[in-house]
Amino acid sequence: MAQINEISSLRMQDPAVARATRPRRFKYVNPSFCLFALLLVGYGLIVQFSATSADADYSFARQLSGVAVGMVLFVLITRMDYHALSGYTTLFLIINVVLLLSPHLPGIGVEVNGGRSWINIGTQIQPGEFAKITMVLLAASVMARYGGRLNDLREYLKALGIMAVPFVCVMTQPDFGTGLVYLVIAAFALIIGGADWRFLVGTVLAVIPLCAAILIIDPIADQIAGHDVLLKDYQKSRLMVFSDSTYDTSGDGYNSQQAKIAIGSGGLLGKGFMQATQSSMGFLPEAPTDFVFCILAEEFGFVGALVLLAFYIGLIVTSVHVARGASDLFGTIIVICIVGMWLFQILENIGMDCGLMPITGIPLPFISYGSSFMVVNFVMLGLINSVWVHSGR
Amino acid sequence: MLSAILTTFAALVVLGVILAVVFRVRANSAHSRAADRMRVRSVTSVGIAAETPKTTHSAAPSGPSMGSGVAAGEGLRNRFTAVGVIALGIFGALTAKLFGLQIIEAASYSEEADANLYTTVNTPAPRGVIYDANGIAMVANRQVQTVLADADVAKNPDVILRLSSLLGIPYEVVRSRILDSSSGAQSQRVVASDVKLRDIAYISEHRDAFPGVSTQIRTTRTYPYGAMAAHALGYTGTASEDDLKNAAEGRDIQSGDAVGKSGIEQTYDSLLAGDHGQRVLVTNAAGVVQQVVGETAPSKGNDVYLTIDAKVQHVADRVLQDAVRHGTGTAASCVVMDVNTGGIVALSNYPTYAPEHFIGGISQDMWDAYQTEESHYPLMNRVIAGTYPAASCFKAFTSLAGLTYGFADTSRVWDCQGTWTGFGDSFPQKCWQKSGHGWLGLREGIVVSCDVVFYEIAKSFYDARASIGDEAMQDFVKEFGYSAATKIDLSGEAEGRIPTPAWKKEYFKDVPEEAQWLPGDMSNMVIGQGYVLVTPIQVVRAYGAVATGKLLRPHLLKEARNSLGDTVLSYDTIEDTAPQVTEANLNIVRDALRGVATENETVSAEFNKYSWSAAAKTGTAEVAGKEDMAWFSCYAPYDNPQFAMCVCLEEGGSGGSVAAPLAGQIMDAAIQSAAGTLEEDMNTIAATEVSVGGSN
Repeated sequence: MAQINEISSLRMQDPAVARATRPRRFKYVNPSFCLFALLLVGYGLIVQFSATSADADYSFARQLSGVAVGMVLFVLITRMDYHALSGYTTLFLIINVVLLLSPHLPGIGVEVNGGRSWINIGTQIQPGEFAKITMVLLAASVMARYGGRLNDLREYLKALGIMAVPFVCVMTQPDFGTGLVYLVIAAFALIIGGADWRFLVGTVLAVIPLCAAILIIDPIADQIAGHDVLLKDYQKSRLMVFSDSTYDTSGDGYNSQQAKIAIGSGGLLGKGFMQATQSSMGFLPEAPTDFVFCILAEEFGFVGALVLLAFYIGLIVTSVHVARGASDLFGTIIVICIVGMWLFQILENIGMDCGLMPITGIPLPFISYGSSFMVVNFVMLGLINSVWVHSGR
Repeated sequence: MLSAILTTFAALVVLGVILAVVFRVRANSAHSRAADRMRVRSVTSVGIAAETPKTTHSAAPSGPSMGSGVAAGEGLRNRFTAVGVIALGIFGALTAKLFGLQIIEAASYSEEADANLYTTVNTPAPRGVIYDANGIAMVANRQVQTVLADADVAKNPDVILRLSSLLGIPYEVVRSRILDSSSGAQSQRVVASDVKLRDIAYISEHRDAFPGVSTQIRTTRTYPYGAMAAHALGYTGTASEDDLKNAAEGRDIQSGDAVGKSGIEQTYDSLLAGDHGQRVLVTNAAGVVQQVVGETAPSKGNDVYLTIDAKVQHVADRVLQDAVRHGTGTAASCVVMDVNTGGIVALSNYPTYAPEHFIGGISQDMWDAYQTEESHYPLMNRVIAGTYPAASCFKAFTSLAGLTYGFADTSRVWDCQGTWTGFGDSFPQKCWQKSGHGWLGLREGIVVSCDVVFYEIAKSFYDARASIGDEAMQDFVKEFGYSAATKIDLSGEAEGRIPTPAWKKEYFKDVPEEAQWLPGDMSNMVIGQGYVLVTPIQVVRAYGAVATGKLLRPHLLKEARNSLGDTVLSYDTIEDTAPQVTEANLNIVRDALRGVATENETVSAEFNKYSWSAAAKTGTAEVAGKEDMAWFSCYAPYDNPQFAMCVCLEEGGSGGSVAAPLAGQIMDAAIQSAAGTLEEDMNTIAATEVSVGGSN
């Protein structure tokens, strides 16, 4: 290290080098990154204040407590040197599997709506949310081993296999939405971790016929088994709703239609804070969680929605900047996996609200109701900040 | 103001972010340029790293990647670009879609959001009052105290229980009335109508114990004189699916509304119906009312004034009822018309019914009871829908036909032997007087109602058919409005029938041996028998034409007035046709009819009691399988005709002895009333009692 500093000091006249090696004004906080994170959290709380006021099932205080716990974790994780995590691939895999299979354990596992995604340990939490953290770390630690170049097919398949384990585990609950998030994290780890383009394209090409095959085999399998085997009925109807916007607007298409009405009726400037009628009058079910963007768009209009997107862009641009400045590939992959996860959640959540994507239960980062979800996103922020802090010179 | 601040704020934020991004991109490009240089250095740093592994924590156990730092860096940049492209695509797509929803389609989604939110509920409007010509209310409105409940009261057993015990209605009945959504999902449901004021006060004083319950004053039809003029006034009922579908233009019928189902209530439904009041409500997704945003009061419909004179009507109803109840006939009808305007002064039928029973829907048992043969069909308006043989009342018109065609005059005489064989010995026809009338002229023939005189006239028509055609008599008679609807302002009118050769051929087309037009058809028709069918309203209208020479359209509406008392519609007399008959011939027949009233033994005995003079004609119709039907038609006063009327009694017997006294009383009432001297005790007219199957 001493050598580099000496060399740098010798080349002080080069402004680029000067900039790269300039001492930071803030040592523990990346200012622009944290600013956008705070803006998003604040915006989310404003929207939640309105959303939770109309529905007694949701508590604004609980959401606030999620933010508080998240902030503490953010500080702790920032102080922890992320480098120390790179060697624990096996541990992450084990934690992941244990977390995702824990709802099946008698005693703590809770069945909600026919799915086993929840455990009750004094308070009810969704281990699949927390497994997103270990999924990111698992993917990063696996891909960092290849040093940015993975062009051996056997190694590629091995990495793919390890990263597919959490997906398989979560599908036993089953929770397809969360499973998709794991797949997206894995995909971004593969892209940024240097997997050969031909392997990536090959994987995508292999997945398409697989999906088609499932759609074709599904009715036949249902026929033989006499009950739903592969795809659930609600998943099929969600696909139907997605492909045909006029499909059953009073039944399965109801949510989708009401979400679009909420967004569209917001217009340019919205109806004003606390003035959303679609959610407060109960036309939009589950508004604070999956359809929270509809409340935002209805109350603050197109302008409010653009402001939210702008905050997201800001967070992602500053995160990518951290990724580029990371001191090692492990840090870069961690940050990009998190960015990829957020991108996917934003696309899927807002996309399903506007009818651009089929409906799945994926929440909107920093905005949707849910204290586990909020805590997990603060941990993600902490990881990115840790990469930034511990990549500084 | 607030939106302006918000817009400014949002614009500043967006601008800030754009600047930040631009700045970043520029910094990044500068950075990457720096990185290019740094990469050179990083090669050395790799070398150093070999000695100081601390800088490369992520160093994989396998070494090869170490040596390809430059290649990996190059690849990394491409991969960052890929991530950037993905992010750009996502945000671009979302922005475009949001622009579409919130800017381009905002208006239509706003409408849908409002449609979700606002519900308009109609409150019923009072119907207009129906008055007689002198302003006596025949159908009025009564205010009833109504207890209403919101739909979600059905989920509150405590409130239902309290309503049940207060109103004395079983729990389940209260609940099912609240659950009944036929008047609309968000409408308040009627729990009880006509509630005692004391109970209303109790609810008002204990609002907390009755959440979602309200009281309202609504109006319902009331009939001060019971069944009086029931067939003219008609009844109202709850709107059916068909009523909703076939509503007249400008008439807004809502589910649950009262609509006119017969009589004046039906014909002038649009005039009588008021405009709904409206309540605009904010409802949530479960349909629970959150707030009443606006309320407009309903406005009452127009009041309708009829040409009917309630007092004369009352006399007619009473007289017919007394007659039938005392064994004269099984059913009776009577209609009095003003010969100068066509206005109906009285329209009465017996058996009759109480329109009140139809308010809010008549029970099936009651309806069935009204449709039995023993009940003699109380709902039937015989004046316009009863078709009977015209009998001798028809002779006024066939004698005019004979006079017009020259087959009769004041000097010609005929010999009545009781039996007439003018169409051959094998077709003998009898006069009602079996012993015969001897030699007599046309006037005498009408006064004593000799059939043979008219057989002779019929024979003259038949013999002359080569030159005048075989429908000359029918065509002439039809000029007095027979065999056609009078177009009175009531629905359900029958047209009657005047037989012609063409009609008979069509009617008996399946029995060709019967289809032949026979001379006997002519001689039966000439005395108003055979295939002739007329309605009482046709007969009265035609007698009016004899009196005045003009055939007027009968009608019940005088005028309609709005709530300010302004006349919005009045009925102008319509003269349909003037029959092609000379005044001289009319005078011959008028004089003969005058003779019936003064010289005919049975009639004059009755009519000489009155101060006014009349022109009249009796009729006794033979109905196959039944007792004779009694007819009596007249107009009065003779010199200055005012009213024409007829009475007909099914299975009543002889027109002269049975129907004439009834007609005399009613005509006297009409003339007295016009002079302002009629005294009539206006008690309620009872409906005919029918045996209801279910209840006994």
